[in-house]
Amino acid sequence: MSADPDEELVRRVGAGDPAAVQTLVARKLPRILSLAVRMLGDAAEAEDVAQETFVRIWRHASSWRRGNARFDSWIHRVTLNLCYDRLRRRRELVTDDLPDMADPSPLPDAREEPQRIEQALQAIAPRQREAIILVYYQEMSNIEAAATLDISVDALESLLSRGRRALHMILARDGVHD
Amino acid sequence: MDARRFAALTEAYGSDPRRWPKAEREAAIAYASSETGQAISRNAGALDALLDGYRVPHPGKALHDTILRTADRYVVRRRRQRFWWLGLGLAGIGLAGAVAGLALVTVVTPEVQPDHYVLDANATAFGDAGPDTIEEDL
Repeated sequence: MSADPDEELVRRVGAGDPAAVQTLVARKLPRILSLAVRMLGDAAEAEDVAQETFVRIWRHASSWRRGNARFDSWIHRVTLNLCYDRLRRRRELVTDDLPDMADPSPLPDAREEPQRIEQALQAIAPRQREAIILVYYQEMSNIEAAATLDISVDALESLLSRGRRALHMILARDGVHD
Repeated sequence: MDARRFAALTEAYGSDPRRWPKAEREAAIAYASSETGQAISRNAGALDALLDGYRVPHPGKALHDTILRTADRYVVRRRRQRFWWLGLGLAGIGLAGAVAGLALVTVVTPEVQPDHYVLDANATAFGDAGPDTIEEDL
């Protein structure tokens, strides 16, 4: 297992080093926030999730020990869990079994292309969305993303393929993509 | 690497080689330069370009500062408390040491005998010769 680039920093945070706290926030906040924004499609809710994620980090920093996952994978898992809590609260998810189908309803009218991409991402199944976000936007390797989602690399690849196909269909239907 | 695997790879990871699995990257890059590879890459690249356009704003200063304040509550204050408890612990150890030392001195040190003895009127060189111990034989 390769070295965790965050391990020493987390140890210093756990010891209460204010400089380490600042470094950790500067290093991880943009990643956590971008993950939450893309998962939830709501900037205000994403900021709440980012704050909650950091509270978990502060609570666990002194006792955090690397198991099978890197610190970065762990905070991604924490953030994703918090996002799912909010998605459930929105009643998008009525059971623990997440739907694996894209929302068939047409996208609301959005004039800008990036907004259409955002809406298309929100319309696909959450598991497909998180796979795409981890690999595409969070720049995780397939192995890191699979570990974060606690699935095999083959299962990750399947989620990515189905997610991209669903995005392609939605965007083609709305005339954004050929 | 063949057309089928290359198509599956780009369907999942897109057309950017940086996202391709490390184990297959070299072979996939070689295949991408073929005519079939280029056509498959173009197809996946169109969606990649759209996804690239979806950017999210960087965290604002207010959020950054709020998070640092929570750190102060949970992390930095914990360190201060740890120092406080450490100080209290050291003081306790010192106090316990002082009490133990005092007890030791009390138990171990023999009773101090006076280095002089004041004789009273009833005392003799052999001890107290007072009325309780010696009956006068008159």
